[in-house]
Amino acid sequence: MESFLDLLSVSLLISAFGLTAAKRIRSYIKVFQLQSLLLVASTLTLGLRNFPNEGILGILFLAVVIFILKVLVIPRLLSNTYTKVEYTVEKDFFINIPSAIMICAALVILTYFTIHSLDGLLNARLKFYLVNALSVVLIGLFFMISRKKAIGQIVGFLVLENGLFATALFSANGMPIIVDLGILIDLLTAVMLMGMLVFKINETFDSINVDRLKNLRG
Amino acid sequence: MDLLLILIPVIASGLFWTTGSRKKLHIINVAGSLALLLAAAAVTIRLQNAGVITYSILNGFFYIDALNALVLDITAVVSFLVSLYSVGYLNSEYPAAEDLKRIKLYYSLTSAFIFTMVLAATTQNLGLLWIAIEATTLASVFLVGFFNTKRSLEAAWKYIIICSVGIALAFLGIVFLYYSAHLIHNTESALNWSFLSAQAGSLDSGVLKLAFIFILVGFGTKAGLAPMHTWLPDAHSEAPSPVSALLSGVLLNNAMYGIVRFMSIVNKNLGDSTYTGRLMIAFGLLSVGASVLFILAQKDYKRTLAYSSIEHMGIISFALGLFTPASLLAAFFHMFNHSLTKSMLFLCAGNVLHKFKSKEIISISGLFKAMPLTGGAFFLGILAIAGLPPFSIFASELNIIIAAFTSGHIAVGSVFTFQIAAAFAAIAYALFRMFFGTPAENHNHEDNPAGNAVILALLAAILITGFYLPPFLQTLFASAARIVYGG
Repeated sequence: MESFLDLLSVSLLISAFGLTAAKRIRSYIKVFQLQSLLLVASTLTLGLRNFPNEGILGILFLAVVIFILKVLVIPRLLSNTYTKVEYTVEKDFFINIPSAIMICAALVILTYFTIHSLDGLLNARLKFYLVNALSVVLIGLFFMISRKKAIGQIVGFLVLENGLFATALFSANGMPIIVDLGILIDLLTAVMLMGMLVFKINETFDSINVDRLKNLRG
Repeated sequence: MDLLLILIPVIASGLFWTTGSRKKLHIINVAGSLALLLAAAAVTIRLQNAGVITYSILNGFFYIDALNALVLDITAVVSFLVSLYSVGYLNSEYPAAEDLKRIKLYYSLTSAFIFTMVLAATTQNLGLLWIAIEATTLASVFLVGFFNTKRSLEAAWKYIIICSVGIALAFLGIVFLYYSAHLIHNTESALNWSFLSAQAGSLDSGVLKLAFIFILVGFGTKAGLAPMHTWLPDAHSEAPSPVSALLSGVLLNNAMYGIVRFMSIVNKNLGDSTYTGRLMIAFGLLSVGASVLFILAQKDYKRTLAYSSIEHMGIISFALGLFTPASLLAAFFHMFNHSLTKSMLFLCAGNVLHKFKSKEIISISGLFKAMPLTGGAFFLGILAIAGLPPFSIFASELNIIIAAFTSGHIAVGSVFTFQIAAAFAAIAYALFRMFFGTPAENHNHEDNPAGNAVILALLAAILITGFYLPPFLQTLFASAARIVYGG
């Protein structure tokens, strides 16, 4: 069980790299879907592991909710939004992909050293999980600033959120269930609102490139 | 019974969709916010004897002490006054019959927005607090983009993206806090503030320190502390003016409140306030300094007011960072003063914008002649926000400076004093030119009598609290300060 969790934790990180390497909008929505699936698997594994001694059904229930929201509903919402605002020109990044991957690798190293400089309650396994999950957060953040299209920023935000969720999951077996559910509902609303905004921005600016948004400065 | 506080805005938000008459929409909104105000007042009065009001349902998530009550009361007062102002504002902004849908949307979004802020101010569960603060962004994003222009959509996009990311980082802070509490006390209430505050000594300091940085950056984004403030001037200037008043007068406090709760736990754990104090003072001074520079370069009066909000959040953060009983009291007094003054200024700015149809400072002149009432109130309000006596902001700023010097922070105190002097000069320089000279056209009508009454009431309030603080407010600030200080 433990080694399976290690594997999932690393796969989450690798999928974040996959995201950075994805060129087209459709493909990074797919990568996000894959990453969410890994998150569901991690939730399930943790739920099963804790089931005999703690007997919490909550975490299993949570896995189902994450599966429905993050694997089914949100990717679908995103690709629907994208279909409505689709353009032929696809070049989407400010930084070319090889250097973006190098930057992400640097982020992982940074996280590694930061986490390992902490002492206190963290044991070695937990540090390993934290490095992976926090790197996903940082890569999501980096992805947001490296893409031009508004949808890229949404996906970056979602990946960041996946990283946060993974952090909560691996470090403290998730938050209390009501908080977790609240967060997921917030997230779904956020993505719906962002999608609607993208739609409006597309109508008003004839583009979803965020570098067109520069009326407000100073 | 007290749960009504949370339910009133939700019910109001739904009720708007059941009616088709403009008059009824206004009545529902005003009645709803009046009910909220009364409920908040009732809770505050009961709190005088009780100390803490909480119920055991859902792990005691509903929790009110003096600190919540302060934030809650500001929320209720400002939203009531704004709802009175909105009647005239919407009638003149959307006069046509087919605009009714816009009014409905506006009202139901503001009610939802107020709901999220009330929720944030009535819970002690830090996870729920996080959810509520994230929900404030979601409820208000379409209010920021309400006019659907290029500028307002850009502001809305920046608002939702920057605030969501900021708040996401705050979540990381809460995860770390939960982790450090969960390891020792495996209970469901490990996220409750009262529990954490009581058990603060047993939490792990290293993890807490890390958590505090994430919380400060995360909620600080929402509170508009520099350098995470970049969404704030855009959102505040592009939103309809009553919404700007809510954003600036209420929302920023709620985010700051999140930081305060956290800070009190961390300080209790570490045993002194040096660690959090240094961070808060640094962010505070940076915010005040940055806002002064930006105000000097401003061409837009609503943006100037927005930058002044950043300045005042910086001042509050500075005062909280000093962490002495006197400075905490001054910080809460300042929070109260800033909310009233700034919401009044944004309402005045709404009147000016409605008459001149321009947000540029240059295209406005002779406000005294063109709109004597609004112009006069606006002028006095600007003097108040800049920190001139006899208005209340002067009183609280003076208290903060005294607290800084008496607690031995000579160097930062001097920098701070110099900065607020510079802020005074910057605001005067940027905005005073609107008031003098002759207006281009002069038909002297100022509609929205209710709105004008609200502006005058706020003006009277900030004038009176400048030299006389009613005893119940005094006890409220003092007991809020005591809760944070942990005595």
